[in-house]
Amino acid sequence: MFSPDDTIVALATPPGRGGLAVVRLSGPRSLEIAALLIDGRITLEPRHATLVRVVMPPPEATPAGEAAGEAMGGPALDQAVVTWFAAPASYTGEDVVEFSLHGSPVIAGEVIAACAGSGARLAGPGEFTLRAFLNGRLDLTRAEAIGDLVEATTPRQARVAFDQLQGALAERIGEIERQLFNLMAKLEASGDFDEDGDRFVSPEETRRAIREALARIDGLLADSRRGRLVREGIVVAIAGRPNVGKSTLFNRLAGVDRAIVTPVPGTTRDLLTEAVVFGAAKVTLVDTVGMRPTSDPVEREGVARAEKASAAADVVLVMLDMSAPLTDDDRRLLAAGEGATRIIVANKSDLPPAWDLSDLRVQGILPGEPVIVSISAVTGEGLDNLVWSIDRQCGLVGSDEPVYVSNIRHIDLLGRSAELLRDADRVALRPVGQMPENVLLSDLRLAADLLQEVTGKRTTDDLLTAIFSRFCIGK
Amino acid sequence: MNDSFDVLVVGAGHAGCEAAWAAAKLGLRVGLCTLSRETVAQMPCNPAIGGTAKGHLVREIDALGGLMGRAIDATGIQFRVLNRSRGPAVWSPRAQADKKAYRAWVRSALDGLGGIEWIVAVASAPIVQAGCAVGLRLEDGRELGCRALVLTTGTFLNGLIHVGPDQWSAGRRGEPSVQELSEAMKTLGFRCGRLKTGTPPRLDRRSIDFDGAVRAGHFQAQPGDDPIVPFSFSTGSLKREQALCYLLHTNARVHELVRVNIDRSPLYNGQITGIGPRYCPSIEDKVVKFPERVRHHLVLEPEGLDVDEVYLNGLSMSLPVDVQLEIVHALPGLEDAALLRPAYAVEYDFIQPTELRATLETKRVGRLFLAGQINGTSGYEEAAGQGLLAGANAALAARGESPLVLGRDEAYIGVMVDDLITHGCLEPYRMFTSRAERRLLLRTDNADLRLTPRGRLAGVVDDEQWSRFEARRGRFERNWTRLAVTMVRWPGSGNRMPADQLLRQPEIGLAELVESGQVEFETCPGAEETDRASVESEVKYAGYIEREHAAAARLKREENRLIPDGFGYDGLPGLTREAIERLSAVRPESLGQAGRIPGVTPAAVAVVGFHVEKWSRSGKVSGRDDTRAEKGAAESRPVVGPIVGGSAGQQGMQKTQETA
Repeated sequence: MFSPDDTIVALATPPGRGGLAVVRLSGPRSLEIAALLIDGRITLEPRHATLVRVVMPPPEATPAGEAAGEAMGGPALDQAVVTWFAAPASYTGEDVVEFSLHGSPVIAGEVIAACAGSGARLAGPGEFTLRAFLNGRLDLTRAEAIGDLVEATTPRQARVAFDQLQGALAERIGEIERQLFNLMAKLEASGDFDEDGDRFVSPEETRRAIREALARIDGLLADSRRGRLVREGIVVAIAGRPNVGKSTLFNRLAGVDRAIVTPVPGTTRDLLTEAVVFGAAKVTLVDTVGMRPTSDPVEREGVARAEKASAAADVVLVMLDMSAPLTDDDRRLLAAGEGATRIIVANKSDLPPAWDLSDLRVQGILPGEPVIVSISAVTGEGLDNLVWSIDRQCGLVGSDEPVYVSNIRHIDLLGRSAELLRDADRVALRPVGQMPENVLLSDLRLAADLLQEVTGKRTTDDLLTAIFSRFCIGK
Repeated sequence: MNDSFDVLVVGAGHAGCEAAWAAAKLGLRVGLCTLSRETVAQMPCNPAIGGTAKGHLVREIDALGGLMGRAIDATGIQFRVLNRSRGPAVWSPRAQADKKAYRAWVRSALDGLGGIEWIVAVASAPIVQAGCAVGLRLEDGRELGCRALVLTTGTFLNGLIHVGPDQWSAGRRGEPSVQELSEAMKTLGFRCGRLKTGTPPRLDRRSIDFDGAVRAGHFQAQPGDDPIVPFSFSTGSLKREQALCYLLHTNARVHELVRVNIDRSPLYNGQITGIGPRYCPSIEDKVVKFPERVRHHLVLEPEGLDVDEVYLNGLSMSLPVDVQLEIVHALPGLEDAALLRPAYAVEYDFIQPTELRATLETKRVGRLFLAGQINGTSGYEEAAGQGLLAGANAALAARGESPLVLGRDEAYIGVMVDDLITHGCLEPYRMFTSRAERRLLLRTDNADLRLTPRGRLAGVVDDEQWSRFEARRGRFERNWTRLAVTMVRWPGSGNRMPADQLLRQPEIGLAELVESGQVEFETCPGAEETDRASVESEVKYAGYIEREHAAAARLKREENRLIPDGFGYDGLPGLTREAIERLSAVRPESLGQAGRIPGVTPAAVAVVGFHVEKWSRSGKVSGRDDTRAEKGAAESRPVVGPIVGGSAGQQGMQKTQETA
């Protein structure tokens, strides 16, 4: 349960030493509390940066109006720029006061403590943005976009989040919603006014409208895999038989020596993961245990985990050793793993080759036509090409189309909405006597409800709490 | 006080009769105050009951032990089920009534029940003590005491009739209007408004050659259904000679006459200020607002078997009599028709229904209930549904028992009441299927299954109706079970499958399965269609029905979060001024209702929910500072009398303000 009516305070910049530390106050009493911390009778003007001396409020200071004048004389803390954003023209829609202090955690801490001592409450995660939503400053997709924007680790993520913040998704969903409401209005009118005669909307028009709305949602969803990969990052698993150089590649891509590399097959006995940014996306790298039949119970468990990790990954790098002839283990690996997005990585291009890349296709041991990249994990040759190929496989290069849907909550709601529209489409195909409009309307109404849940036109306390608790404090 | 009653009902129209009937069924002493015993259950407009959505209301009234369904079954002269092509979920019965017989039937039913006393007088003012209605003052000076008062004044409050330039004060044609009561309600502080309604001309049957007009192609005869599907779950099979209606159309000449004379219409020259129903427009409105339509649909409906008046449905207007005659004579087949009564418009006062709780008790005055056109509705069925609910709740309040409240997912009556108390009225409110979002659950075929147990609990369903209902519910359950266990052949193939699975195919109907002898089906005379439709709908729409139930259950949580009486919105942080204004005007009883007020966003509801919880914990209104909180509390009116509110099955909330 949240509390939307008191005054909250938090550090809006990252903790620690820096150029600036911004303390943000929001709520009905923020101006009054700020006045207690400002030396002298200085009147803040809305949206004006004012240079002031920040002082400790006297301990007996009460939040009553005249106390502001008596606040002079407390020990000075800092010189700061203070800005007042008057309600409702502020981030939260309430009175907001921001103190731009010198970037010392000590000063910021004292200012926050002084605010708390004067009646403000320490803000919870995302509470400023929650208030912005409750005060109608943002719809839910925009509020969520702010969270994403702050969390972004790649420029691409930031761009997707910013598009959403600008309302790109809300706008698109609004269009679909309007289209559905239009159709519903006509169907309802037929039911209300035309007792036994013709209808306000023909079955053809009905189907066309349903299919159009459905196509739009499907369009958004088609993009959503790409969107989700941008937002949540790509999981890349490195698979291969023992000793093809998986751990060397892992260390190379991760830029750290995490995996122990030895010439002894079966050195890696459990999964290693590392989050890195390369190419267009955030990538979670998974180094797996070399896949081979084994009697060692620890290694066997490792192999099982490796298979599971490969199945869950967005991209599987299947590694082969070019300097040694293909083994049965290699062939087994190549033949399996259909379905997942795979890249065949031919390693050890720095050594004399024992086989040629074209052999793979000729021998018919490769189902499908996967991308094949040759590299040397030791020298780094071909790695750029590999990174580019991974991005490409995920649709992150070569397409500059904006991505609208990246959030799993949105994907789920849109998917369920599309399912209902598909049912409506089937119902609409029935001949008139067997096509009860009211069944159709039941589908359409629930589909529209789900769209409204995306933008927060329909929502519940629980959902809000869940969404905003993922934010950082001070946002 | 000259006399004292448990429940006093003012007005004996469709709302008043149902209210008195329901209260008397609870065994209370009821006074029914009317201007004349001759006009009890009068149909001042069309001689018909039911139709799209209205038929649903009648079935619900009947399921709750009301009069209307049985009255029309007894006195109807033509029966049809509308919306046949749209599936059983929205089938809606409609019937032409013999108006005189209908009045007589209702009056003798009221007399036969016992416990209802007639008071022929003009009501003047509710007597209010300590915020509660305790009696009624009559214009002749008498004072009657009561424990609950129901006002069903129809179009009589400050009624003003218009025919062309002529206007006179009247409640209905030939009946005086009521002035003092209207003033008394305003004095009590009720927010009033003014609405308008109208009725078309009545023609003399003897001046029309129906057969000739049909032969000439001017009229199209419209017969009733055979067999007749009755309204009431209590009526057995109905066999009756049925009257004909006749369909005809307006033409360019009629539209021209309307256009030329438009400034002689009080509707268009500023004489009428009340707002009329958009959905049942006058011919002036039809011609002016839909200039592209070259013709409109009219129906000649008999007003009874042995009366000469014929009702011209679709031609309501307020033009002067000479223009009315010209217009009627311009219709092919009616060239020689004689006018028995001209069309007229009537303006009347109503009370904004946002003044009401879901029980139809006013928030302003305890134990005072309002039903029918006084709440801004139009239509006999809408009035009767409210009357039944108000009467039952007045009686339950008088007995100190928990109220009968119907939710939007339970009944069209529940939808109507929620719409009225949440949105208020800007124009006369008419029931439509589109207003009920859970309409797959609210069918005419299951009205009794939904509501009779509720009515039994409230005490309005008598033993006879209850035992008939139990038999019907037994049939329904056995028929349904049997479909699940009976194996049948897929038509044209040897494959066998459970009958209910086959029935889910859109092209398969239960009637054919029963006729083919593959499925055994129990029913009883007169109930065949309802028995069949109730099972067929449940089977055919099973997935949809389940989904609708789930959606309704999700919303229930918000419905059950009650907002205490006296909760103030002024100065609540986090709400826009618009939201505060709307919430203060409506004063919703639950968070669910708050969310349905236009302009109140889900975010605003979340904020209100927070404050309500805080208020309930501390017993104080939260505000920007303490002084304001106390001021806010002082301004909010003290709560008087036992408050019956909240949703079904819950005890009414009782909260008194301690602060200030």
